[in-house]
Amino acid sequence: MSLKTHKLSLSIADKAICTDLDVCFNPGEFWGVMGVNGVGKTTLLQTLIGLRAIKSKNNSGHGYITLNQININDFRRIDLAQRIGMMLQEYEYNFPSTVIEATLIGRHPFITGWQMEDSLDQQIAISALKNVALENFLERSVSTLSGGEKRRLNLATLLTQNPDYYLLDEPVNHLDIRAQLEILYLLKEKFSHQKQCGIMVIHDPNMAYRFCDHMLLLFNDGQWLAGKTEDILTWENLSRLYNCPIHLIKETQHTLFVPHLSESSNES
Amino acid sequence: MKLKQHPFIFLSSLLILVLVSFLFALSTGSSHLPSQTILSLVDGTASPIQQSLVFELRLPRALAAFAAGALLSIAGVLMQVLLKNPLADPYVLGVSGGSALAALLAMLMGVNTFWLTGSAFLGALLSISLVFSFAHSNGSWSISRLLLTGIILASGWGALISFVLVISPPEKIHGMLFWLMGDLSYDRPLLPSYIILFFGFLFSLSISRQLNILLWGDQQAGSLGIDIKRLRTSIFFISSLLTAGAITLAGSIGFVGLVIPHLVRLIIGTDHRLLIPASALTGGALLIIADTLARTVLAPQQLPVGVLTALIGVPLFLYLLRKSQ
Repeated sequence: MSLKTHKLSLSIADKAICTDLDVCFNPGEFWGVMGVNGVGKTTLLQTLIGLRAIKSKNNSGHGYITLNQININDFRRIDLAQRIGMMLQEYEYNFPSTVIEATLIGRHPFITGWQMEDSLDQQIAISALKNVALENFLERSVSTLSGGEKRRLNLATLLTQNPDYYLLDEPVNHLDIRAQLEILYLLKEKFSHQKQCGIMVIHDPNMAYRFCDHMLLLFNDGQWLAGKTEDILTWENLSRLYNCPIHLIKETQHTLFVPHLSESSNES
Repeated sequence: MKLKQHPFIFLSSLLILVLVSFLFALSTGSSHLPSQTILSLVDGTASPIQQSLVFELRLPRALAAFAAGALLSIAGVLMQVLLKNPLADPYVLGVSGGSALAALLAMLMGVNTFWLTGSAFLGALLSISLVFSFAHSNGSWSISRLLLTGIILASGWGALISFVLVISPPEKIHGMLFWLMGDLSYDRPLLPSYIILFFGFLFSLSISRQLNILLWGDQQAGSLGIDIKRLRTSIFFISSLLTAGAITLAGSIGFVGLVIPHLVRLIIGTDHRLLIPASALTGGALLIIADTLARTVLAPQQLPVGVLTALIGVPLFLYLLRKSQ
């Protein structure tokens, strides 16, 4: 069982996002995806979940993506949603809704036709809210939540969907540093059971180093690097990725990457 | 909100509201019928005059009002989801303009009621397909493009409507203005509207869980397994058809499709499985009451029901808007 890209090339207008990408995401792995702003990390995730066509009128592309050896385009959308889920970077909040309602939508792929959510669905949603420490907010209106609480709610919805593949688009932005660690520990623990896989866009190399066992780096020219974190996440690669000198500080407990952009090099 | 846990109690009380408003409509008018008389109609002991007053005049009119109110309310709910804006209304995409223009032209030519309603419906369909083909031409469903197309077309229809009004003979203007304001006073076939209402309601209910999810944005809905393009296309056509059905029945009655969904949402929240039937019942009941008032307040002078819904709707809406800030 795996989610696999085969010679996948994507582009937006004429800008290459990745060229001939061959990566295999396996259960039990926690991937970090890094690259500069606008390099196409979100576009890659949207393509992996089948929401964006590989090739369209305005965007050239080739290759294909398989889930368990079957092309993802051959899945019914609802079947795909039982296997791959995504936590988006941003959500729309145009209409009033409560926390529990927002969480329960994660069960949509598992409920058929005219069926209502039953007590099992409720239990799943509530335990997901417990995982992100929102269980006391069930009837709160979503619009009254803080940015960090909304982020945890978004994760609770994905935990309720509980697919095999978690595509996470910057799941810890807006979170305070303690909440970041709690969420990342929660995810790492989840994927350690060897049944599910996480693919996470993240900007902080130190968090990526600490939690992800595999890394995918997307460079500006469509080139990419993928593999085990200790092979990929080096100061040389990161300096190239961000076009910015990065120092490595190794201590007994922690490994830290420190970007070092002096004011003079900023101007150049 | 406690009502949410008791959807059946809430819906049953709305059903009672509908029955009460029907009774109100049947008993109120130039000759007042007390409720015992209404009951005596059922077992056939009432006088023939009372029979025909109720069954040939008041009941069809109340039924038309109920259908128009329910159609507009469901269409409003759908249009608000489609445009992701709780303040959208069924006419915002110009359906009513196309329909009104066709109806006025039919009136100008002096055709009978059948052709009048028929051309109103065809005008609505024409407007719907124009909006769809322009907004959808590049294969994507952008909300701003859809909205812009609708609004531009609506203002185009508005100009043509003014033109027809200007060139029409004075004796026809009164009827035309009534039609434009929304009017239930003329005799019309009820069955087509009820067919549209029945299937439109069932279809809306069948996609109500998907509507709940679409509120969170296209990406979220797509990642939860919803075919967004298909869903958006069906919402567009169903809400437009419902609106066309309502306009054909009663002209462009304003504010019902805007205020009712908003009002019901404030009471019971955004779950469409409850919101759609509740809005249909509330809209139907309120339009029956508004129409009964429209024909009695200044009797024997009849008012277009649209004037009353606007008079009730505008202050109510301003109040809600203020409260929601």
